[in-house]
Amino acid sequence: MKKNTLILVIAILGISFMTYMMLSIGERKQEQAILNTAPIIKAEGIETRSDKWADAYPHQYDTWKQTAESNEIEDMVKKYPQLAILWAGYGFSKDYNAPRGHANALISNRSTLRTGAPTGPNDGPMPMACWACKSPDVPRLMQEHGELEYFTGKWARAGDEIVNPIGCGDCHSSQDAQLTITRPYLKRGLDAIGMTEDKITYQDMRSLACAQCHSEYYFKKTPYTDKDGKDQIAAVVTFPWAKGLAAEDMEEYYNEIEFKDWTNKMSKAPMLKAQHPGYEIFTTGVHFKRGLACADCHMPYTQKGAIKFSSHKIQKPLNDIANTCLTCHKQSEKEFKDIVQEKLDRKDQLNVIAMDNLAAAHLTAKKAWEVGATDAEMAPVLATIRSAQWLWDYSIASHGSFFHAPGETLRLLGVAGSKAQEARITLAGILANYGVINYQIPDISTKELAQQVAGVPFEKLVKAKLDFKKGLMQEWITDAKEDGRLTSTFVEDLPVKSAYPQN
Amino acid sequence: MKLETALRYGAMLAVAVAIGMGAYLTKESKATSYLSSDAKACINCHVMESYYATWEHSSHRERAVCVDCHLPVDNYIDKYASKSLDGWNHSKAFTLNTYGRRMLISDDGARRVQENCIRCHASRSKTLIKNVDRYHAFDSENLGDRKCWECHREVPHGKVRSINGTPNNLGVKWDR
Ligand code: HEC
Ligand code: HEC
Ligand code: HEC
Ligand code: HEC
Ligand code: HEC
Ligand code: HEC
Ligand code: HEC
Ligand code: HEC
Repeated sequence: MKKNTLILVIAILGISFMTYMMLSIGERKQEQAILNTAPIIKAEGIETRSDKWADAYPHQYDTWKQTAESNEIEDMVKKYPQLAILWAGYGFSKDYNAPRGHANALISNRSTLRTGAPTGPNDGPMPMACWACKSPDVPRLMQEHGELEYFTGKWARAGDEIVNPIGCGDCHSSQDAQLTITRPYLKRGLDAIGMTEDKITYQDMRSLACAQCHSEYYFKKTPYTDKDGKDQIAAVVTFPWAKGLAAEDMEEYYNEIEFKDWTNKMSKAPMLKAQHPGYEIFTTGVHFKRGLACADCHMPYTQKGAIKFSSHKIQKPLNDIANTCLTCHKQSEKEFKDIVQEKLDRKDQLNVIAMDNLAAAHLTAKKAWEVGATDAEMAPVLATIRSAQWLWDYSIASHGSFFHAPGETLRLLGVAGSKAQEARITLAGILANYGVINYQIPDISTKELAQQVAGVPFEKLVKAKLDFKKGLMQEWITDAKEDGRLTSTFVEDLPVKSAYPQN
Repeated sequence: MKLETALRYGAMLAVAVAIGMGAYLTKESKATSYLSSDAKACINCHVMESYYATWEHSSHRERAVCVDCHLPVDNYIDKYASKSLDGWNHSKAFTLNTYGRRMLISDDGARRVQENCIRCHASRSKTLIKNVDRYHAFDSENLGDRKCWECHREVPHGKVRSINGTPNNLGVKWDR
């Protein structure tokens, strides 16, 4: 009797205490839930207008706007006229500039001569895929109409829909602001390398947000039947990751499906264009291997008053060495500038050698065709040129690779230069068979000369472009404003710059 | 006799309820997570979120989790004694809501952190000892009772770390 009473009393005391604890925990959990509840920017779908996020997140919005400051044009074809030959017959020979800040992405895209001068929705040289990494309106349209439907038709088809430059809705969920992958093709790419959703950590997301766009892709022709029962072909952005992320892995992938982006107009080689395998090449560098993410350097934790937040002024980290590199390293700012400059100089030296050899190979191949070389003679050489140019392009196309992965970048440039020289030696042999010795390639020392050789009608392209900018492009903006898709005067008033004169 | 039976069944029932509640409480309070060294265990309590956020953006993220600095590592007795003491103090403060907006490390907490800075850095910093030996002669008296972070102010929580200092931080909410 005594024993049972004692047990009962103790148990009841325990239950009372635990009840108190349970209530307390419940209360704390509620507090935590409230604290961790982000404002809902939009109940469903994607809020593409970054200005609509500004009230909830003023610091992030303010710093995001500052990406507009990086708006100077660095004309890469002017800097390296060889590029016009390397890309002869392909859009990039017309116009190619170094990247600028995210807020300028749509202006760059509409202004480049590559997107041409469409006069209506079904006109122009480029497909819908060209918007893919420029705007949160892209995943919005994919959600509204379907991915295959999105990737169908010409670039000009959605000019009045895609009007907000890269912004909050590209990287964050509009419901709870968490980092999210808005591009289905990145999810497929990650599946292909076995990085399924349950394995992804927060630190991974701080890079994957960028990998949505700073990655290599190609347009995979995908037939389907649309909702009206009509046969359509979508050009779907696809990451060639199934065999791995290295340059050689992707090359094998492309060779296996006999893919080519275009045929070089000079050499007739079936070419590959590397887009910007920034994430891929970063994974070979020491910073990735030591656990860093893109955001560690490009979005440093900064402070304004008593608040800490991630700077959304995504830019070259060297503009803010104190908050980026010096979080972990302790040398002087100057020393860091010098280290990065030294890496850049090393890349530039090998880069120029590789480009010179590639340009010479393309032009010598052209000569070989002219003097009567046969398909059988040329096929192996063209394959070598294709491979060399792919490795070269992969190594430098992401712009930051010389720093993100200096070793891999220099290795690829070395191999590319050597393969291009191999091609030239073989071509010299072929030319000699046809009695041509000591062939000198034409003068391509300026952008004008090189574009002439490559057959780029520059003046004509510019004139048509300016008409487009005064005409159809203005209609797009007006329509978008009327329908409320574009509500920001900040975006509207961004200055328009380009590699050609504006009038 | 009847009372006795009732008492016996009553006691059995009460014990069963208590065990059930105990298990539920363990789950709700994520008590078992404190057995691991995962930094996420500390943000079971939201008042730790600012410290998590600042640590997550610091150079030590890849090198030292919370308990590598805040708990004795080499000495198991000290480790579990400290763990219990902290656990008791923090849970009490958290449950009874007696903590201030601006937290400060306790003297005993500071002692442990200091020992851990030295544990990791004494062997790593031979060249450093040579260069700045006045500050870093870890085993000499020269260091006096200065704490490492009197100079290294930013390690690892930065200068802004108040409970309100890092709103919107996404990392603390991330669970997959
Ligand atoms: C290119 C991708 C990208 C864009 C665009 C972007 N963010 Fe972020 N944002 C991130 C990443 C990555 C982080 C995580 C940073 C970290 O944890 O260090 C982040 C963090 C945040 C946070 C958490 C708090 C903080 O500052 O760390 C908020 C809130 C936020 N962003 C709001 C916005 C808003 C508002 C916009 C639009 C004005 C925006 N973001 C645009 C990638 C982006
Ligand atoms: C929606 C696609 C997209 C996402 C997501 C994206 N970028 Fe970009 N990024 C671009 C484009 C397009 C440009 C070039 C814009 C231009 O030249 O107008 C660019 C340019 C840049 C530049 C050059 C800026 C300058 O001023 O020179 C940097 C650096 C950069 N991105 C880093 C990042 C980082 C880091 C992330 C992830 C936090 C990221 N990007 C996410 C598409 C994207
Ligand atoms: C360890 C720091 C660090 C990390 C991590 C990092 N970057 Fe960079 N990034 C740099 C530096 C330094 C440069 C060179 C800037 C310059 O040329 O002045 C750069 C350049 C770039 C550029 C070219 C900018 C331009 O205008 O030429 C892009 C784009 C870029 N990074 C994107 C990324 C992406 C995407 C990731 C993640 C996959 C990433 N970075 C990770 C430090 C970093
Ligand atoms: C979050 C911490 C962190 C940040 C931020 C960071 N680094 Fe590093 N850095 C490292 C680590 C870790 C290593 C590898 C050291 C090792 O393993 O020996 C490294 C290595 C290096 C190296 C030597 C390896 C190489 O590639 O040549 C250089 C140079 C370097 N960092 C420059 C920079 C620059 C420039 C920045 C800013 C744009 C920067 N780091 C930002 C952590 C960081
Ligand atoms: C039960 C909720 C809770 C958890 C879990 C928790 N803390 Fe705390 N912590 C608190 C509260 C409340 C305070 C404030 C105590 C005070 O001011 O009296 C605090 C204070 C501190 C302090 C400063 C006071 C001291 O004792 O030196 C440190 C350091 C600390 N916590 C570290 C940690 C670490 C490391 C972890 C993870 C292993 C952790 N905490 C997990 C609630 C918690
Ligand atoms: C590199 C060692 C180190 C790591 C790792 C570390 N801390 Fe600290 N922590 C410190 C130091 C040093 C202080 C005392 C700073 C001061 O008094 O200025 C401190 C203080 C604190 C305080 C008391 C508040 C204050 O400002 O004094 C809390 C709470 C805390 N840390 C929580 C954490 C949590 C949670 C983690 C893991 C997410 C963590 N710490 C990881 C070194 C560390
Ligand atoms: C678990 C081991 C460990 C502990 C504990 C630890 N550190 Fe470190 N610390 C490291 C490592 C490893 C690095 C190098 C980080 C890197 O390069 O990525 C480092 C880097 C540093 C740096 C240079 C980078 C920076 O963030 O300024 C300083 C200063 C430093 N630690 C001070 C301290 C202090 C002060 C403490 C105690 C509060 C401490 N460390 C505790 C391992 C530790
Ligand atoms: C009186 C001030 C002072 C004290 C106390 C102090 N340090 Fe330092 N520490 C310095 C200075 C100054 C440097 C050199 C900083 C530099 O070169 O950027 C330095 C450098 C370091 C570095 C190298 C940082 C790097 O990036 O290479 C580490 C690690 C470090 N200290 C750890 C410690 C530890 C651990 C303690 C405590 C046992 C401590 N320090 C105490 C002033 C101090």
